[in-house]
Amino acid sequence: MVLALIRPDSWNLPLFLHVLGATLTFGATATVALLGFAGQRGDPDRSVWLRGLAFWVGLVVLVPAFILMRGTALWILDKEFPGGHNEPDWVGVGFIVTEPGALLVIVMVILAWFTRSPKSRSAVAVPWLASILLVALAVAWFAMSAKPGG
Amino acid sequence: MSLYQWLLFFHVTGAFFLIGGIVVAGILNLAAIVKDRRPSEVAALYGLIRFAVPLIGAGLLLTLVIGLWLVHNVGYGYGQTWIVAAIVLWVVGSALGNIDGKYQRQTGELAQRLATEGDAPSPELRARLLNPLALVISYASGLTAFAVLGLMIWKPGA
Repeated sequence: MVLALIRPDSWNLPLFLHVLGATLTFGATATVALLGFAGQRGDPDRSVWLRGLAFWVGLVVLVPAFILMRGTALWILDKEFPGGHNEPDWVGVGFIVTEPGALLVIVMVILAWFTRSPKSRSAVAVPWLASILLVALAVAWFAMSAKPGG
Repeated sequence: MSLYQWLLFFHVTGAFFLIGGIVVAGILNLAAIVKDRRPSEVAALYGLIRFAVPLIGAGLLLTLVIGLWLVHNVGYGYGQTWIVAAIVLWVVGSALGNIDGKYQRQTGELAQRLATEGDAPSPELRARLLNPLALVISYASGLTAFAVLGLMIWKPGA
């Protein structure tokens, strides 16, 4: 078991950046969800302001964090499974989460842009989409940490 | 799945909760200080920061307890450099976070009070938000978590 935990030194930087990107993505997504839900109630001006903040967090923090997570995933994948051969199932889970996940992030940020208007009807969707992404990220980190099935 | 796989999953979950919670608190704190906001806006943001607290708390608990269990399960020595350094950083980060938490709680209470007293921008509140020592302590506590993440990956001395 200890042998399985030893990895070449050249894998450490991409793996660190990948996990860093993933945790930043989780935190940024949680912040968007929090601001989005808080922006559903109370004073209308306050709600619009909070929803605007959700947009900026999505654009300035979530998108770069997601790109870091996904880009470094490809980097470590190339090192660990060069040529894409013999990839285990848990790698596939990562793709299943991040490819639709990228679309989800784009839709979320676009909707968050429109929710900056007081008359926006799509405001309720943003925090729920963020919540779905949080669950999806949890599934991915389960697969990549526990590696069920080997 | 083996015990090791479950332990690793819960340990990594702790890391996501801890760093995720730190990111939530950091972003909301930054949003409060980046502009000269009304006390009610600061109070609203600080009110949301409190949702990060249980996440950080759960993360601290899971990373430490499950981490020590993993050391035993895998057969690492408790005296290995990266493990000792991680525990030291965990303690330092927790202590700094505790100091920061108390300071931020008091700042939030001040913001709420000022919000009910006319809600005009307050130099006193602004000074608390931009207090250099408070900011250093706050971000240092967060950075210790990232440093521990680095130790977990590189495992110096393993």
